[in-house]
Amino acid sequence: MKSRDRVVVYGAEWCADCHQSRQLLNEHKVAYDYYDIDSDPKLKAEMLALTNGQNVIPTIKIGDRIVQEPTNDELLTMLDLKQPEPETVTHDVIIVGAGPAALTAAIYTTREDIDTLLFERGVVGGLAAVTDMIDNYPGFPEGVAGLTLADDLRKQAERFGAVIELGEVTAIHDEGKYKRLETTSGDMLAKAVLIATGSDYKKIGVPGEQEYYARGVHYCATCDGAFYRDKRIAVIGGGNSAVQEAIFLTRFASHIDLMVRSTIKASDVLQTELKKYVDDGKITVHLETSTDEIVGVNNSVTALKGTHQGKPVEIALDGVFVFAGLLPNSQFVKDSLELDEIGFIKTDDNLQTSIPGVFAAGDIRSGATMQIASAAGEGATAALKIREYLENRPHPAQN
Amino acid sequence: MVKNITIFTTNTCGYCQMVKKYLGAKGMDYEEVNLDEHPHRQAEALQLSGAMTVPVTVVTKHDDSQEVIVGYNLARLAPAVA
Repeated sequence: MKSRDRVVVYGAEWCADCHQSRQLLNEHKVAYDYYDIDSDPKLKAEMLALTNGQNVIPTIKIGDRIVQEPTNDELLTMLDLKQPEPETVTHDVIIVGAGPAALTAAIYTTREDIDTLLFERGVVGGLAAVTDMIDNYPGFPEGVAGLTLADDLRKQAERFGAVIELGEVTAIHDEGKYKRLETTSGDMLAKAVLIATGSDYKKIGVPGEQEYYARGVHYCATCDGAFYRDKRIAVIGGGNSAVQEAIFLTRFASHIDLMVRSTIKASDVLQTELKKYVDDGKITVHLETSTDEIVGVNNSVTALKGTHQGKPVEIALDGVFVFAGLLPNSQFVKDSLELDEIGFIKTDDNLQTSIPGVFAAGDIRSGATMQIASAAGEGATAALKIREYLENRPHPAQN
Repeated sequence: MVKNITIFTTNTCGYCQMVKKYLGAKGMDYEEVNLDEHPHRQAEALQLSGAMTVPVTVVTKHDDSQEVIVGYNLARLAPAVA
């Protein structure tokens, strides 16, 4: 459309096609004058003069050209706003991750018929799926197994049409109207992207940790706990995850040493639960005790060395489970998005990142509370903000 | 060509569900050995994988060669069952 072309729409309030054409013009931010032919006989006469007496609405005048009852495609073509079809696979929304934030967002977007594809490189449900029992997610008075919650969230999202691709997104590029995602299934385009990749448990970086990985050092109690029936183990960490998983592991291990670098940060409820196991002699808590080394012989872990108030501590054991803090899964966007000093993704009040149209929610977001209920809430908020973005985003011709 | 697949799992293991979901989506049959139900087979899983973890997926080819995949590792699992 030439910039000087004036656009006039002749229509009526009762005319659905008129509303559709006006909505299209609004979506593409095309300025136009609207004349309601029912409001003034002169306007109707003016329109009939333009159409050789054809009483059809909407009649749209673009410069010197007249079009009547156009389809959206025809109108966009006349306005030179017809967008060439991209050759790459395109989705309305691609969600990176399939944990509680991602799946909740997908429930919201797919319910509104927004075409949504999720990418998951690990386990659907994220860390929630490998957590034994979740006691603080609302709606489950007796708590819910992490795997069950994850599976139910997945089923709910899939019921509305969400598609989960088992693969990985390795980079995101801003191309204005579209975001290009490099994935293990090839490049894909999305009108909007939600990053909900969450976090993984952090390694503590002590000697022996890497060497005995999966042969005495573990990060998933629900996966590997069964290998420690009637054996002595340590759990490292003092937060909710460490206490929760230590309690879970009591069903296998003969005894657990809980190694806490400072003080226990777990919730009061978990601490009360923990006390029962401490009183039973099943768990021993070592406060203000660092873990300095994991020691082994012949491919098996035999002991943990640490320090308490400057004095060395050595505990004989068979395995170590580490739940000492979280590491954000943001490596793939470290060069494209603004991150905080730890590596979590910075967002504004709309959960939008430093790239317009790319949003972040859940544990990956800087300032997140690392709660499943919060992640679900952020997923819902992100979905609504994405809908707003899709409704208002600029047309490529205006980029 | 794949002759048979065995997966060592536990009841609570989310990654085991992912392996089963992946093979299920491919329409592939597999034998599941649940170590919570058959704890005496733990040593077998450990010997095959060298790791005290599940899932352990053992893909036996028609020439009886075996590929053992530890954890949910699509980069190894996908070509092994292709």
